[in-house]
Amino acid sequence: MNYSSMPERREGPGSPMPKAPSPSEEGGGPKRPETGSPDKDNLLKRMRKVDPKQAERYRQRTGQ
Amino acid sequence: MLNRIFGLETEYGLLVNQEQPDHTPTWFAHKIRDHLFHVQRRGVLDLHHRGHDEPPGNGGFLTNAGRMYLDMGHLEWASPECESLSDVVAADRAGDQLLQDAVEDLGLADQVSLIKNNVDHETDATFGSHENYLVSRRFPFTRRGLGPLVTFLVTRQIFTGAGRVGTAGPQDAWVQMDRLIVPRGANQRHGQHPAMPFQISQRADYIVNDFFEWVQQNRAIVNTRDEPLADPNQYRRIHLLLGDSNMAEVATTLKLGTTGLVLQLIEEGHAPIDLELHEPVETMQELSQDQDRQWIVQLQSGKSISAIDIQEAFLAAAQAHYGGQDAETDWVLDQWEAVLQDLRGDYTKLVGRVDWASKLWLLETFREAEQMTWADPALKSLDLEYHNLHQGKGLYFGLMEEGRVPRLTTDKAIALAMDHPPRNTRAFGRGELVRHLLASGQPDEPADSRPEERFSPSYVINWSIFQLRGQAPFPMPDPFKTYVQEVRTHLQSV
Repeated sequence: MNYSSMPERREGPGSPMPKAPSPSEEGGGPKRPETGSPDKDNLLKRMRKVDPKQAERYRQRTGQ
Repeated sequence: MLNRIFGLETEYGLLVNQEQPDHTPTWFAHKIRDHLFHVQRRGVLDLHHRGHDEPPGNGGFLTNAGRMYLDMGHLEWASPECESLSDVVAADRAGDQLLQDAVEDLGLADQVSLIKNNVDHETDATFGSHENYLVSRRFPFTRRGLGPLVTFLVTRQIFTGAGRVGTAGPQDAWVQMDRLIVPRGANQRHGQHPAMPFQISQRADYIVNDFFEWVQQNRAIVNTRDEPLADPNQYRRIHLLLGDSNMAEVATTLKLGTTGLVLQLIEEGHAPIDLELHEPVETMQELSQDQDRQWIVQLQSGKSISAIDIQEAFLAAAQAHYGGQDAETDWVLDQWEAVLQDLRGDYTKLVGRVDWASKLWLLETFREAEQMTWADPALKSLDLEYHNLHQGKGLYFGLMEEGRVPRLTTDKAIALAMDHPPRNTRAFGRGELVRHLLASGQPDEPADSRPEERFSPSYVINWSIFQLRGQAPFPMPDPFKTYVQEVRTHLQSV
């Protein structure tokens, strides 16, 4: 499946917005997702840095 | 997509990383907003009262024609009017990046984290992600006419849900059962507080009605407030608050794209029939909490069917009537079909595209590595971290760094959307106005004590109209029209 095939924005009646580059123009761009489980080591490192008690500090007000 | 204006409104959470009694999330929200307007000069603050809870200076429109403000203590970003899905996904990410940039510019990135989620696990507070869809005034906005939309919305969470650890406690609210409004505690299923390791939706626990007009209590599947922000003779704005804030660009785009197509099916009389749900509010929570992910629902006809089958019925109708309509429609139809197909198999296939699947995979990976049970409170903290907008910390961005997240926009497009509006909607004209006001050095401090500023501010900007002091009001009732030449002419005459 080619996820970068999302069509670019359509131009409207005004003068066109500077065109967004297609993902492939950005060099490193999005990589094709794999269907298996992602590599875990880097993600585990990132997860181990999370303060395990941070949810207790969140303290948000109810919004809409 | 065809004849549709889309918009998203996102309320952000703020996680204070150090115990600082004087520095509440609201304190940081004020600081970030002030930095955006006074230092970075991204837009112009309101000088007038927009409502009892929006005094002058509470927020304002930016050069990209979107709106940043405080709502119930939360920073909130309302995107400009977008006529394409690629624009709205870029605008959504632009709001995230505007706030994250302000935090980093302030040197506060170690002190506070922006969390793009919808729940506080500890207090059960919830805050929203609202969707807006412009429809014709002829849209059948009746209980009967909206029946297919309710069925679609309740079941779409299988690919739009952001997932969460645990469940919210019983809401201090009334719920609708068998056409009766009863205290939520009267519902035995919810009174038992079953242990809930993980569910696929953040907001399902907080939706207690099928139709209602309020947005803070008694949240409904379909919000019925009639506020088109456009010519009321031509348009209606479908305002939805049941959805989750999405991190995955595929999820955001599918949420808006599939809902837009279902609205078109209803408008044109092509929606599947005989799929009305028995007890949609209860069904919404049961689907979210189904630990086996079989997602079987009961219809009013008495028949049982899976949520995937229901979604496939809507997909088939959209394919039959709108295949080839335009490139974005075809993209939505292809991706909708692929996601539904993958939902029938191993959920890990959806990592990167569907937020609940990404989060569940991350949590399961961590649980396995650390030999942790679902009861461990650290999982709630990891749940929050999935939504952290700091690219070096957030778990969603960790997946992206590993190349596992398909992108539908680019960093360049997001940077563009941070400064510029779409140029094919009313947002273009409003963006011109905001730039003009910034360039002309309009006051950015609404607390001006001069009587003329208090009672006749130098500008008033709303979504569908603006007025400069001493000038006639400038209405912009058609969101599909840019008004840009008319706005330029108007500004030159001032």
